[in-house]
Amino acid sequence: MKKTLSLVAMLAGTSAIAQDLPQQSSTWFTDAQALLATQIARTPNTGTAKNVILLVADGNGVGTNYATRIYMGQQNGALGEEWVMPYETPDYSSALVKTYNINAQTPDSAPTAGAMNSGVKQRFNLINLGDGGIHDDCSTVAGNELTVFSEIVTGMEKSVGIVSTARITHATPAAVYAKTANRNWEDSVPEGCTAQVDIAQQLINAMEAGTIDFAMGGGGRYFLPDGTEMGGLKGRRADGMNLIEKATGMGAQFASNQGSFDGLDLGSDAPILGLYENSHMMYEADRTDEPSLAEMTKAAIEYLSKNENGYFLEIEAGRVDHANHAGNAARTVTDGVAFAEAVAMADELTDDEDTLIIVTADHEHAVAFNGYCGRGSNILGLCMGVSKTGIENNGEPNTAADGKPYTVMGYLNGSGAVLVEQADGTFSGTRPDVTQDEAIDLDYVQQALIPMSSETHSGEDVAVYAKGPWSHLFDGTVEQNYIFHVMYHAVNP
Amino acid sequence: MPLTRRTLLAASAAALACPGLARAADTDAPIKLRDLYNKDMSFSDLAQSLEGKRVAVDGYMAPPLKAESRFFVLTKIPMSVCPFCETEAEWPSDILAIYTKRIVDVMPYNVRIVSSGVLELGSFRDEDTGFLSRIRLADATYARNA
Repeated sequence: MKKTLSLVAMLAGTSAIAQDLPQQSSTWFTDAQALLATQIARTPNTGTAKNVILLVADGNGVGTNYATRIYMGQQNGALGEEWVMPYETPDYSSALVKTYNINAQTPDSAPTAGAMNSGVKQRFNLINLGDGGIHDDCSTVAGNELTVFSEIVTGMEKSVGIVSTARITHATPAAVYAKTANRNWEDSVPEGCTAQVDIAQQLINAMEAGTIDFAMGGGGRYFLPDGTEMGGLKGRRADGMNLIEKATGMGAQFASNQGSFDGLDLGSDAPILGLYENSHMMYEADRTDEPSLAEMTKAAIEYLSKNENGYFLEIEAGRVDHANHAGNAARTVTDGVAFAEAVAMADELTDDEDTLIIVTADHEHAVAFNGYCGRGSNILGLCMGVSKTGIENNGEPNTAADGKPYTVMGYLNGSGAVLVEQADGTFSGTRPDVTQDEAIDLDYVQQALIPMSSETHSGEDVAVYAKGPWSHLFDGTVEQNYIFHVMYHAVNP
Repeated sequence: MPLTRRTLLAASAAALACPGLARAADTDAPIKLRDLYNKDMSFSDLAQSLEGKRVAVDGYMAPPLKAESRFFVLTKIPMSVCPFCETEAEWPSDILAIYTKRIVDVMPYNVRIVSSGVLELGSFRDEDTGFLSRIRLADATYARNA
């Protein structure tokens, strides 16, 4: 026993536990002691970040991430709860992030991504304008444009890339390069608005200016004239501009499906533009003939790594958010796993010594979790009873006061509402009965309370995880715009 | 298409072309909308095998395009209008146009229904609504999916 204790003390590097404990042979105990030793041995990296990779899963707050963790674990044969996501290992520092906007308790993805890219909080539904910028008011653009991280690092001779499974003009990727009074001005601005151009034009202008070198995502329709078809895309621009031709005209390589993606010359210095759908790229569960987020991540890093001065790369899993909006937990977590695989890919291809990797989300959703479920309850399925003597759940669905089973996951609002509109316009209803087979179906919409066509974001915290130079500066509970400041310090300590 | 017991039953019932069995397939085992399509949005073997047959399909009634119509769109999950996802209402790619026997009595967009009708494949533009469909149920009825 003495020998065991001294081992424990050695592992921990501390003599805090100086007595025999009946629990010290438990793997819970020894695993925790091992983690303690790892954390004590940890030394901060105070070098200079040559590269910064910011990975954002849109709508992946602490709750949504919890669902994906359990799902990924269960897909890998674990009970799920104990699973460790690639960014939850001890080599990542972490903090909680407050995501509200200047004028919104519940944030949207435009000002949240803007906060990460500019260092200041912004107003609801606009991107990269200062306090004086007003949503949908073009006259407030001039004089309120903020300088973004991509511009700063371009000045340091670094390359810049963006990857998203949403439209490349959508809020999170747009925040890398765009300044706009309305996040929806993706392919046009209101008549008479001359202070800014639309977001798609801003991307191609940034590519021309050399502040964006690699851009890959969905949203092809905003880059082609209305009705014009190219590479399987069909344009919708009313102004007749062909922005894909503009990009290729200045030497950019273009891809619009898996074949052309595979054919890209990543060794070339020519900019790269990949647009795979007219709107968002497909959910991972439905994906066909277009690259995965991890594949795009790999291509971006391979391309950007040629710059000896380094790069900034923002990668977004854009559709975790959309599946949450639909109340469809199955696609939420499958896109969450695709995000985790992209993080693992970024980590594998880079060196912790010179690359700061930041993993976070822009906001959470109105997702919630029922109890009391036994270990290993399918995170998409019914909440099963707790086993009295074993570990795994007892296989018996718990029932509510109405005598019906219920799923582990649910939403506070959305299209899964149990209150349904009646012929007289009032809302009422009872909870539908649900079987395990129905609940774990890919298309199942979780039950919700408040009837809304689209489930909403919530203002709840998200987490930030980081490794590499100065990642230890993520600690405690921080404002979202602080992320920019760590990135800036890491490239310029 | 993954061949499940459910789709196999539906397919074989229809293939027998026996009215009694086909009705059983209608009521007992509605087809999932997604099983009419392959992943690349081409028609599945099941859809092709059921062309011209009366089938029952599970889904949701999207808010109708116009009142007093004999037409609605069936979606596989409720037709959410998400202002932060899309700048305008857009149809998902895997839908089924339903042409009904009677004027549509609108159901809430988030109530599961089963639609039964004769499966038609191939492009058709509805002159009344301008809606272009690739796959439809004709002469259809529908009811809540208990």
